[in-house]
Parts: sequence; structure tokens; C-alpha cells
Amino acid sequence: MSMADDIDRVLYDEDALQARIAELAEEMNVVYSDDEPPILVCILKGAFMFLADLTRHLSFRHEIDFMEISSYGSGTTSSGAVRILLDLASDIDGRHVIIVEDIVDTGHTLTYILRNFSSRNPASVRVATLLNKPSRREVDAPVDYVGFEIPNEFVLGYGLDYAQQYRNLPYIGVLKPEVYADEV
Amino acid sequence: MGVPVPDSLDYVLLDEATIQRRVQEMADQISADYKGIRNEDFLLVGVLKGSFIFMADLSRCLTVPHRVDFIALSSYEDSTEATGAVRMIMDTRTDVAGRHVLIVEDILDTGYTLRYLYRLFGARGPASLKTAVLLTKPDRREVDVPIHYVGFSIPDVWVVGYGLDFSDRFRTLPYIGALKSRVYSK
Repeated sequence: MSMADDIDRVLYDEDALQARIAELAEEMNVVYSDDEPPILVCILKGAFMFLADLTRHLSFRHEIDFMEISSYGSGTTSSGAVRILLDLASDIDGRHVIIVEDIVDTGHTLTYILRNFSSRNPASVRVATLLNKPSRREVDAPVDYVGFEIPNEFVLGYGLDYAQQYRNLPYIGVLKPEVYADEV
Repeated sequence: MGVPVPDSLDYVLLDEATIQRRVQEMADQISADYKGIRNEDFLLVGVLKGSFIFMADLSRCLTVPHRVDFIALSSYEDSTEATGAVRMIMDTRTDVAGRHVLIVEDILDTGYTLRYLYRLFGARGPASLKTAVLLTKPDRREVDVPIHYVGFSIPDVWVVGYGLDFSDRFRTLPYIGALKSRVYSK
């Protein structure tokens, strides 16, 4: 089976993604400065590709950190509680933080991370997400930089996976419904 | 318009186009070598933080399906470089047993870290184990470690950018530059 057999259609091609990411970087370039370098926190694994492309356009000083989280058992609980598998290497006390996410869906995980970070006393926290699915939102989760608002479809590529596949596609595609229909 | 070259850099060692071309060549070679492999069987393991940009570009250029995983390491505070002891902060989430594993590293220096990883993963029963490094500094090598894919062989200068940092700075430059010696020697 070829790699793209499960893809219904391309939602955002490589050029569209790259152009939008450059715009997001420009928005950040006017807000942040070298005087108070922010820490960009990448939520693994999904956001690593977005982070790699976004940060190469930033003109202000910044640092990079990573966080990997995992839900307890199957699915997300309503509390949004997640296990932290990899915590930040840096102390964010007094620092500006930009959380970098691939997608914001129900908002539970993001809300949990925001609560967790607020107890660490950062100077500010903003959220940058490549994709936003407002129709799926269950809790109010603020997002400051949004690449694309998308409908409620199963998207993959550019860091996003289906069963650990397709993360490396340079575009965002929509999974054929029959591929995951077997499993629900 | 690109990001301006910071004052702290002496010169650009590898520009963006040169890096991208070489990463594509490495990916072509890897795709040819692993042709026909199933997604579940091929695992790329990136070493944080330095390899995330290389991983993002390399993995996009591959035409063979694969999984991506990351590990985080730290050196022991009381460890000298000579022992090469490293601490695992975050292990892979994927079980490497029976899988073809490719370790993805930004730079190969003394070789201690890569040797540690090579032994660690080798002991877990992978179907095969290879290493891909973007940069190698042969002058700095202290221990032998197998490298299967290498981007560039570079002289012993302090390089930053494309994942490599100096005190967490310059990590995300789209090119690789040589740091001025006054920056790291003060």
C-alpha cells in the first residue's frame, strides 16, 4: 500500500502551510524582542515540525524547550489531567512562554498545561497552534496564534499522525473515513 | 527576507540551501536502503533538543513510511567528558525490539553520546540499528562509533544553528554558523 492511499484529500498543501507559518512568525516578531527572550515550549510529538519551521522565521532571541505528555489510559478525561513524560528543562519563573501546539481540539489538555504552567509563575503565556478545531471545544481554551481553523475532520500529516503513521507528510491531509470507521 | 546574521557569528559555514540539498540526498539514500519497509517496522529516534530541526526536514524528505520518536538525555553534573556517562531523561515510547531503528543526531563530536545510544538500543533487540548524523567533527573523536549516514564533515569550530545552540541561543537559525571565539571563551 502506498503512503497516501488512506488520504481523502489535501486540506493545506506545503506552500499554503509554509506561507501561513511565515505570517505567524511575523506576528510574533512584532510582539517579542531580544530584551526579554521568550521560551517556546513544543508539545511533543505532534508539534515538532511546526516548531522547526516556525522558529526558523523568528527574528528575536528565544529558547526552545520540550514537553511530552500522555493521557491516562484510553482517551482524555474531562479534567484533562495528563501524565508529564518529559517536563521542561528550563525554569519559566518570570519568563515569557509561548506554547507551540499542532492542534487544539477539546481544549482539555491545553487547559491542563496552562494551569500547570501558571503555578510556575511565568511573566506571560501565549499559545500558538497550527490548527484549531473550534467546533470540538469543550472548555474555554485561549489561543493567541492560529494557523488555520479547520472543520471537524480527521486530519494528519505535518506532525499529526494516525496510529503513528503519516507524521512526516509535508502537507495536512484528511483521512478517509473508512480507514478509522473500522475502529470506532 | 531571511533572519539577519547575529553579531556573535564569525561566518556562515553551511547556508540554508546547502543544508537542504544535503538532507534531501541523505533522505534519498535512506529511502533507497529501507525500500519496501512497513511503517510499523521503521523507527526514527531523534535526540533532543538538538536534532529536532534535522528530524523535521529529514523525515519529510523520506519516501518510505516510518515512525518518529524522541529521547531526551542529560549529562551527569559530576561527570567528566571522558567517561561519557549520560542520564536518560525521557526514553522512547515505541518498543524498539524487532524494529529497524535509525538514530538521528545533529552532531557527532567525541562519540560518547552516540556510543551510549548505540549500545542502549543494540541491547533491546532491534531488527537493525543505524545512525544518521548531520555533522561530524572527526578531529574531536575519542571513541569509535558506527555512522551510516553523514551530512557534512566539519572542522573543530563551535557551530550553532539548525538545532545546535550556544547556551540555548542561536538554535533555530536556518543555517549553520561558526561562533566567534570571544563569545564562548569569555
